[in-house]
Amino acid sequence: MHEQHTLNSLRKGQRAVITGIEASDGLRHRLQAMGLRTGREAEIIRQAHLGGPLHVRVGNVHLIMRRADARRVSVHTAA
Amino acid sequence: MKRLAIVGMPNTGKSTFFNRLTGASSRVGNWPGITVDLYGAQLPIGSDLAQVVDLPGIYDLHGFSDDEQVVRAFLENNPVDLVVVVLNATQLDHQLPLALQIRDLGFNTVVMLNMADEAQHLGIRIDTEALARGIGCPVVLVSARRGSGFPEAQQAIATALADARPLQLDSVRAALAPDDRVVERAEALVKGAVDAPGVLVRRTTERLDRILLHPVFGLPLFFLTMFLVFQAVYTLGAPLQDGVAWLLDEFRALALKPLAGVLPGMLYGFLVEGIYDGVGTVASFVPVIILFFFFMAVVEDSGYLSRAAFLMDALMSRFGLDGRSFVMLLMGFGCNVPALMGTRVMRSRALRLLTMLVIPFSLCSARLQVFLFLTTALFTPRQAPLVLFALYLLSFAAAMLTALVAGRRLRNNEPFVLEMPPYRAPIPRQVLLRGWHEVSHFLHRATKFIIAGVVLVWLLTNFPASEVPGGPDTFAGMLGRLAEPVLGPIGIGAEMAVVLVFGFVAKEIIIGAMVAMTGLQGDALMGYLAQHMDWVQAMSFMIFVLLYTPCVSTLATQRAEARSWGFVGVSVGWSLGLAWLTSFAFYHGARLLGY
Repeated sequence: MHEQHTLNSLRKGQRAVITGIEASDGLRHRLQAMGLRTGREAEIIRQAHLGGPLHVRVGNVHLIMRRADARRVSVHTAA
Repeated sequence: MKRLAIVGMPNTGKSTFFNRLTGASSRVGNWPGITVDLYGAQLPIGSDLAQVVDLPGIYDLHGFSDDEQVVRAFLENNPVDLVVVVLNATQLDHQLPLALQIRDLGFNTVVMLNMADEAQHLGIRIDTEALARGIGCPVVLVSARRGSGFPEAQQAIATALADARPLQLDSVRAALAPDDRVVERAEALVKGAVDAPGVLVRRTTERLDRILLHPVFGLPLFFLTMFLVFQAVYTLGAPLQDGVAWLLDEFRALALKPLAGVLPGMLYGFLVEGIYDGVGTVASFVPVIILFFFFMAVVEDSGYLSRAAFLMDALMSRFGLDGRSFVMLLMGFGCNVPALMGTRVMRSRALRLLTMLVIPFSLCSARLQVFLFLTTALFTPRQAPLVLFALYLLSFAAAMLTALVAGRRLRNNEPFVLEMPPYRAPIPRQVLLRGWHEVSHFLHRATKFIIAGVVLVWLLTNFPASEVPGGPDTFAGMLGRLAEPVLGPIGIGAEMAVVLVFGFVAKEIIIGAMVAMTGLQGDALMGYLAQHMDWVQAMSFMIFVLLYTPCVSTLATQRAEARSWGFVGVSVGWSLGLAWLTSFAFYHGARLLGY
């Protein structure tokens, strides 16, 4: 059974598979170029306080992402 | 001459590779079709003389970011014989598409798998021959940091360059349009040629991050680090600056003074007090720029700068800035000039311009000298620290207000997604080269403008020639009187207005100008000021000095970095307006309260 989420809603340490990016062409292109592609595994490593950014691992690339940008990335988790 | 372009993603060690290839010979240059500075160098490679250009780090050739557009524009407007693609060997699944894109455009290509030592350490095995067949170009394992594999890399470049012909620009333009499923092809290629453990374990980085990004201790540690870096740069810098000043003074006394008897007075003044002092102003920045970039290179190359961005983003994003802006803003409290140059790490132009607009409000050490003098003259020892503290707060508030106001125009459209590279020990050679490159960049771009500014102020304060230099009847004095209706309402008299003209050159001259004008020094000058100004006037004057205009060197750097006079105009106009309004509000507020 899979559950659909967005990347920003994952808990720390939770892993998920990216299923899509809902954003304008430019933004989607940018996020894809940084490794956020459908089918890749993503994990939240840590979350900054006060609504600060997320530390995300995608494959073997570590990224800092603002939560607003992470909201555009849909993922599914094996529940 | 053949042309070789180096392309790669950010954090691949592309610049390290470039520096190892070109050494200290590289310098920034202008290129057709693009508006940012690129480092380039000329050197013999094999039997050819080649021009090597380091293009900005990009993730994708077809992307929309500022840097991606720069790289496309460069390739479309400058014929290139060979493209060297530098990839991070530990992230080939992520990085290979870029190499395929370049190859698909038809460029003669050599691929460098950099950080080969790290990849080996992490248990990644790479079949370079399979990759070479798949991409259709030579593939070399190399470590630009340690130099292993570098002779082979040079050999591969020389061989490829010997047969290379420049690609027709038309065909580049035509080919830049489509993107033929490079990701899928890259994935298949990586599957066949790379043997890597699933998730790479970097124990040291994970351990360090647990401390440095700790929910509670992360921020205090960040401020402590910044404090130490700041202290290191400016406490080491101060004696060096004094040394440079001493050398310049000695030269002036021993070599230039005797000329005064030979040359007509005005010519001597122009040459020595105009041009020579202008050169001196430029020279005084050299030690602090070198030191600043030594330490910034360490902070950046170690991977800590992106951690700082992570820690400060929650706060800074509300002001339209990011954590790296904050680091530069903090560093600006020592000197604005290197801090402005440091904004080059930000790759979005809008974000960079916004940060450059904000940095001049940082209360730099030159302004601190003025404030220390004035607070000692006009306030009790108990009050003086509070006054200084208030000025620091105001400095910060002005910066944040500027960000909020200007951020509406300079909307930063790029998503905030940054790579967090693993921690790496900085390499001394790289750190030294960085300091050297930045200083030569500064000298190259800002010298003329700074000297022109100093000469202009000399002309204003020494003409008409019949008047006492700096006196009320020189052009500067006239400007002072002209400014009276504007400066009067904020409690600044004509005499002080002239001082402000000097302050445009460098804030530390302000006290010197007061000395020249009153003929008094030290305690006597303090006494004079205490008689001629009350504390409200002095405070208003200090507020104005804090905000009114970036110094000529800061402006020169803003111009060089933004490549726009319009931007400099906005910066000066906004500073003057904000300074006047703030001083006005303070002056009349205090008077209304009965002070």
